[in-house]
Amino acid sequence: MSAFFDVAHYDGQKAVKRKVEVQVVGSQFYLLENERRTGPFAFSDVAYVTKQGEADVYGLVGHDGWRLILSGPVPSDLKGLLPAPRNYGGWVDRLGLGKAVIAFALTSAAAIAVVLFSPQWLAPLIPDSVDDRLGDALVGDFGGRFCHTPAGDAALQKLVASLDDAPQDLRVEVAKIDMLNAVALPGGNVILFDGLLKQARSPDEVAGVLAHEIGHVREKHVMQALLRQMGLAVVLGGVDGNSGAMVNNMLAMSYSRNAEAEADAYAMKALGSANISPVGTASFFDRLSQLDGSAGVVKDNAGITGYLSSHPLSASRKDAFEKSIVKGKNYKPALTPSEWAELKTMCTQDRKAKSGFGFDFN
Amino acid sequence: MSDEQLQPHSAFRFHGSWQEFARIAFPNLLLTIVTLGIYRFWATTREREYLWSKTDFIDERLEWTGRGMELFIGFIMVLLLIGLPFFGIQLVSQGLIFQGAPMLAGLLTFAMFLSLFYLTGVAYFRALRYRLSRTYWRGIRGGSDDPGFQYGLSYMWKWVVGWLPLFLMVPWAMISLWNDRWNAMSFGPHRFSANAQWTPLMKRYLLFYLVPFLFLGGAVIFGVSMAASGSAPDALGDTGMAVGGVLAVVAVLAFYIIIPLAALAFYSKYFRMAVGGLRLHTLEFAFRARAVDWVLFFLANMAIIICTLGIGYIFMPYRNWKFFVEHMEAYGEINIDELTQSQTVVEKHGEGLLDAFDVGAI
Ligand SMILES: [Zn+2]
Repeated sequence: MSAFFDVAHYDGQKAVKRKVEVQVVGSQFYLLENERRTGPFAFSDVAYVTKQGEADVYGLVGHDGWRLILSGPVPSDLKGLLPAPRNYGGWVDRLGLGKAVIAFALTSAAAIAVVLFSPQWLAPLIPDSVDDRLGDALVGDFGGRFCHTPAGDAALQKLVASLDDAPQDLRVEVAKIDMLNAVALPGGNVILFDGLLKQARSPDEVAGVLAHEIGHVREKHVMQALLRQMGLAVVLGGVDGNSGAMVNNMLAMSYSRNAEAEADAYAMKALGSANISPVGTASFFDRLSQLDGSAGVVKDNAGITGYLSSHPLSASRKDAFEKSIVKGKNYKPALTPSEWAELKTMCTQDRKAKSGFGFDFN
Repeated sequence: MSDEQLQPHSAFRFHGSWQEFARIAFPNLLLTIVTLGIYRFWATTREREYLWSKTDFIDERLEWTGRGMELFIGFIMVLLLIGLPFFGIQLVSQGLIFQGAPMLAGLLTFAMFLSLFYLTGVAYFRALRYRLSRTYWRGIRGGSDDPGFQYGLSYMWKWVVGWLPLFLMVPWAMISLWNDRWNAMSFGPHRFSANAQWTPLMKRYLLFYLVPFLFLGGAVIFGVSMAASGSAPDALGDTGMAVGGVLAVVAVLAFYIIIPLAALAFYSKYFRMAVGGLRLHTLEFAFRARAVDWVLFFLANMAIIICTLGIGYIFMPYRNWKFFVEHMEAYGEINIDELTQSQTVVEKHGEGLLDAFDVGAI
């Protein structure tokens, strides 16, 4: 059986347009131009190239620029032998637009859910050695900025031991940096900045902040955040530029707020079992939130913005600490007055420690 | 826009319609959203297929044969070969800053910046090469055998030379790089030759360059004359305040309107000179858009985006291509029998590098 169809043809060798007849012979075809016959070509080698207006354009595998251009409706005999036109692309064409959209949306939602929720149970599976090595690489000796005096170290150790049952896997240091801040880093590293100690009015306030940071360490928030950031970077890698970064930040922010609440809860429990009053922590947050309201006050101590940006303040946070006060409980101060004085002045006493960041942050 | 009708013999013609384009752009937007951006490579391909197929050169349509998968693979390659190492370098340099080695961190960041600079140049080159190799006309395509690594070096030193003398040599850098890029490209058996001149650009460039200084000068003269007339600001009273206010508004408007206008005036001249210096065998090219056309084009684009609350953004590829094709012109003769297939290599991956840096066309 053979059939003939008129089509336009480029051979891919020259730019000359030919009018040819397609002679179909089984699963193969020949091209006839006047007396010349080329072929046979296999229909299985024919690929759909593109749509040009009303015309469908086909190519031939392995023949650069070889084209068959079929204008108008393709005869049904031929249509069955030629590959289907491509519209949206493989999967979408197979499923249909509506179904594909639903399938993609579900897959995307599942991917985001995995990235957001898996760090919670993935983080504890990361071996401590990895966590420690990461912490060492990141913190090291902090460029010689850690302050040490025998009495100050002893006071800090007492504070840590009263708040945590296994103080040996924590590394709490005071850094000679005039910022009202404290950070929890991988490997059980907690750094209190000297600016925070200077601003604190009682050892109870420092105990509250320290307990909060220990909470971050114990709840594995740092590793969780790291995993989540990496996951989001991969999942949102396809979204271009700004919108991707925005979504990423929004998701990360909502999760950090969650982590802050968890760390606060941990801090209240730790303070309670250490018999340290949460009043100090509450008033500390109260003072911070008042500073938060008036930008003019913030100006004279650039450090305050540091704590505010990493720890969103709200009145509810202060209230929560106030509510955790147990009436009639016999709280004792976190440190004795002399211990507190030693800790507070540790960085002033230690002249060997380097100060600041060694360069301007702004 | 009226002069198009006066020139019926334009070699390039565009006969797409925005309604047809909308039927491609809206499903593209939907699919891009539900796939978290991954579909955008297929979206771009579909848009180009349409735009190319609606563009006539002399008597035959253009054909875009690029595939979404190619762009996707290019993107993944960039992510693995560039994104991942750079992410690592960023982590390391942050650690170095933390540990008090800002010099080393700065050096590392500088090295990263240099290699990004180099890769941007390579990306520009390879994007042009990719686009030519996927553009067919009468079954014949373009391309280049140059991988563009040398061009990356030229890109670096020429831009540095352009910036060094107070940015005065920027037009030279732009034109010289345009010529370098196009001299490496070919279509069919013929090599492009580009010898655009940069000196005719200097008048417009200096205008753009001097506008801010003219404003500053004007402000100084105004201030001096005020002082000379002996009237202290408070003695001027309300009228003085009003005059000052009006002048301030004029200055702001000038800054936001006159400087962009000067920039467009320069760019329109640049593009006219650049395209005007292009030859392909017996063909010469020209770009007829003048500064006024560019200004109207940009104002219309802004109006469309604002009036549609941003949705109109998806029509920008259509608008850009239409503007480009409608102002392109070619002169000379073309011998169809001489136009044989390009023997240049065909890269399997697309504009990954370019996509990652988000730089523009041609
Ligand atoms: Zn916290």
